Amino acid sequence: MSRYPKRASVVVVGGGIQGLSCAFNLALRGVGGVVVLDAGYWQGGASGRNGTLIRGGFASPEWTRFFGHSNQCWMNLAKTLGHNPMFTRRGYAMIAETPKTAAMFEGALKVHAENGVTSRRLDDAGVRSVLPAIAAERVSAAIHFRDGGVAPHHAPMKAYLAACRARGVQVHYRSKVTGIETANGCVSAVMVGDHRIDADAVLIAAGAFSTEMAKLAGVSLAGYPMRIEAMALEPTRPMIGPALALIDRLAYMHQTGRGEVVGGIEVPERPRPSLKTDLPVMTGTAKVYFEMFPALAQVRIMRHWGGMLHISPDYGPLLGPHPALRDLWITAGWSYGYSGAPGAGDLMGKAIATGQIDDRMAPFAVDRFDRGKPVRELGIVLATD
Amino acid sequence: MQRLSHARPARVAFTWNGHAIEGREGDTVGAALHAASITTLGRSRKHHRPIGLSGSFVSGSLATVDTRPNVRLDREPLAAGLTVRMQNTWPSADLNLLSLARLLPARMTYAGFEHTNLMPSGTRRFEVWEKLLRFMAGVADAPSAPNERTAPKGARVAVDTVVVAGGPAGRIAASAAAQRGERVMLISRGSTPGESAARMVGSLPELDHRVETRGGLEAFGIYRDGAFVAAAPLDGRVGALVIAPKKIVLATGRRSCPPLMPGADLPGVMDAATALSLAVDCAVAPGMQVAVIGTGAEIEVARRLRDLGVHVVATAPTQSLRRITGHNAVTGIETDRLITCDALVHAGPWRPDPALAFMAGCDGLLQLRDAPHLSGVSLAGGAGDAAEPIILGPGPRDAAFVCPCMDVTVAEILHHVRRGETDVEVLKRLTACGMGPCQGVPCWDQLAALLAEEVGGAPADYGHPTYRGPRRGLTVAQAAGLDGLVEPDR
Ligand SMILES: Cc1cc2nc3c(=O)[nH]c(=O)nc-3n(C[C@H](O)[C@H](O)[C@H](O)COP(=O)(O)OP(=O)(O)OC[C@H]3O[C@@H](n4cnc5c(N)ncnc54)[C@H](O)[C@@H]3O)c2cc1C
Repeated sequence: MSRYPKRASVVVVGGGIQGLSCAFNLALRGVGGVVVLDAGYWQGGASGRNGTLIRGGFASPEWTRFFGHSNQCWMNLAKTLGHNPMFTRRGYAMIAETPKTAAMFEGALKVHAENGVTSRRLDDAGVRSVLPAIAAERVSAAIHFRDGGVAPHHAPMKAYLAACRARGVQVHYRSKVTGIETANGCVSAVMVGDHRIDADAVLIAAGAFSTEMAKLAGVSLAGYPMRIEAMALEPTRPMIGPALALIDRLAYMHQTGRGEVVGGIEVPERPRPSLKTDLPVMTGTAKVYFEMFPALAQVRIMRHWGGMLHISPDYGPLLGPHPALRDLWITAGWSYGYSGAPGAGDLMGKAIATGQIDDRMAPFAVDRFDRGKPVRELGIVLATD
Repeated sequence: MQRLSHARPARVAFTWNGHAIEGREGDTVGAALHAASITTLGRSRKHHRPIGLSGSFVSGSLATVDTRPNVRLDREPLAAGLTVRMQNTWPSADLNLLSLARLLPARMTYAGFEHTNLMPSGTRRFEVWEKLLRFMAGVADAPSAPNERTAPKGARVAVDTVVVAGGPAGRIAASAAAQRGERVMLISRGSTPGESAARMVGSLPELDHRVETRGGLEAFGIYRDGAFVAAAPLDGRVGALVIAPKKIVLATGRRSCPPLMPGADLPGVMDAATALSLAVDCAVAPGMQVAVIGTGAEIEVARRLRDLGVHVVATAPTQSLRRITGHNAVTGIETDRLITCDALVHAGPWRPDPALAFMAGCDGLLQLRDAPHLSGVSLAGGAGDAAEPIILGPGPRDAAFVCPCMDVTVAEILHHVRRGETDVEVLKRLTACGMGPCQGVPCWDQLAALLAEEVGGAPADYGHPTYRGPRRGLTVAQAAGLDGLVEPDR
């Protein structure tokens, strides 16, 4: 007997935090027969390899509205799931070193205020009190989000998985989707090797592999896979309180509950399809630490890893129905998909279950590039051009 | 502990947790402490069990030296006036309240204190709890007053062949390459190549004079499919090195792995390399009464130790070991009889360290996997020999540590196995097994051996979680000093 069912209401392709969050929300809305299939192991995708930073505010109103909602979802997630995702609201600081970024912060603060995200400008004394270890003389401007923070991957991944299973969602790892079949212009089934699962709808939440999955269904999806890397230092006692984005250095970092400083930088490189790590990110990240947190100089690097993202043309998520194929849904293009997962699950769950597209996800529609409506966002640590 | 007769006379004064200690010239800090009968140098992460010099579990040798956290005491040369402190203690090493954690039932801390459902996040209580956990988990303070303004400058060199490690196989390979007219660089952990091998075998093959040697360097990674080998000096304040070779020879030998049984993590249990380094280089006996076990080499190791004046009370095959006793340090073993000892030295099973070879060839999109064959990288000597199987002790094994640094017991692994989980990547994430400073070597070998024993099949069927570089920690300063030496791949 096969471990897979013969039919499903919704097959979710990808069991990362996006796939699990959407599956959970579908079940929460009473959709039965949801099946999640993942080619790798639990936490093997970007959802188990990221910086775990969570914030609500960005520079654009679209991102801020969406991620502000997701941040609220994080704060209630323990209650929603009935399991502890260990979200720790320890704050999040964005740091500027150049006048250009400082100017961008001015606009961002206004956007936050207009869209209900709590943020404040940190003056020099503020920087020194929130981040006593930072080389404050290098900081030209800083924004602090009270409600931002982090959650160690394993905790929300464990909480979502348990909550999914408790609500009857079938989740299978080491189960690679090899085909997506269509009939009469609609999605009709998903293949796992020889096994066929008839499906009313399919949600692609396959991270870096989302374009490839769309191809299986015979449709295109903008974007390409790209590796980014992060590293962890040997543990030290708490010295860095909030999560941090060092915008001018394309760097992000925080100190975990285990005392390890985890973070990375983005080095503009050709996109390479592999999880292998390379020297420039490690040495570049170390340089950022050395200059911005001099006390880390003699702390050792413990491990360094890579993870794959799906980069969309405007670096923003691709959310909603696929314009070319009925009953095919997409949650992909994520570069901040950890932070965005509880919100995306909530809004996508609603969309798939009721057909209603929430205003906060509408700007990220999959067909926005065809309509000439990309979303411009400057407050992210990605090597955008 | 006993000083052996070839000890150097000159005394070197330093402090350990504020207490004055005297070592001898030529000691490592770890050896000087061992000589002073201080065998507990570190504390495990969650339960604060004592751990010491073992050669296997890195946490047992990490301490803060002056202001530098996580310094390896088994490698750090002793210098007059050093201030050395035990880490992961509070409020002080002498009155360590954190060690009360040892009294907690193991089940309570499966996967760490963090995994609690008692304290849902999003609440004020959780924020306080999390703060406390962060403090407890942090182990050591980073220095608050930075004293470095510029990173120690790294260097980059191009060679035809780089040979990693200077034991017999490395020396032969390096000399052969030099005789072919290649530019050869031999890097070794010891200040002269072959130091540790010489302790074991006495004399070493001649090294061709054209081989360029770099001592005191630890190869920590291989990048871009072998295009770069990176190495760093032990002293984190000294610049690191990137080597761009055409060929790489890994001659890193094999190391002895402790048996998987309760007590194998106790201070006093150490591998042959650690015992010989204590005895040969620092003239410190591993114990007053030393038992030596092994898979054949125990006789030779015991002979070497006896020649140096160490009191060896027994030798036995590792297979015959039934029990290790002791609470804060090893006090005895049981084979076919009871043997009282304060040091247990193991000389086998011998296994190569797989991490560098893995980094050289691994690839994958969903998971990094071992390369079916390596190009441009060859393994010489023991590094290329088959690993001897891990030895699991007989009898109740639940209390044995698969990963002593992170307090992961056999019982904790089996708790998940009983729920159907046998994927090593998942077990790692559920328990943090192998996520301490040893980075899974040798814990993941023990994990696979345990799964094979409990679930069936061979250890190789279970594979291993990804070995993630750097194999040995280089400091942030050293890595920063390498920045710019390797162009991003554009
Ligand atoms: C180094 C790094 C740092 C990051 N830092 C942050 C951060 O601080 N904050 C933040 O919000 N985001 C961060 N991100 C981004 C974040 O991790 C991702 O956006 C997010 O995890 C995406 O979740 P996902 O579920 O879409 O993707 P994934 O977790 O990658 O899940 C996709 C899944 O699809 C599966 N799959 C692939 N092919 C198939 C197939 N054929 N059949 C079935 N399943 C398949 C894969 O196995 C995988 O598990 C970071 C990412 C990386 C790599």
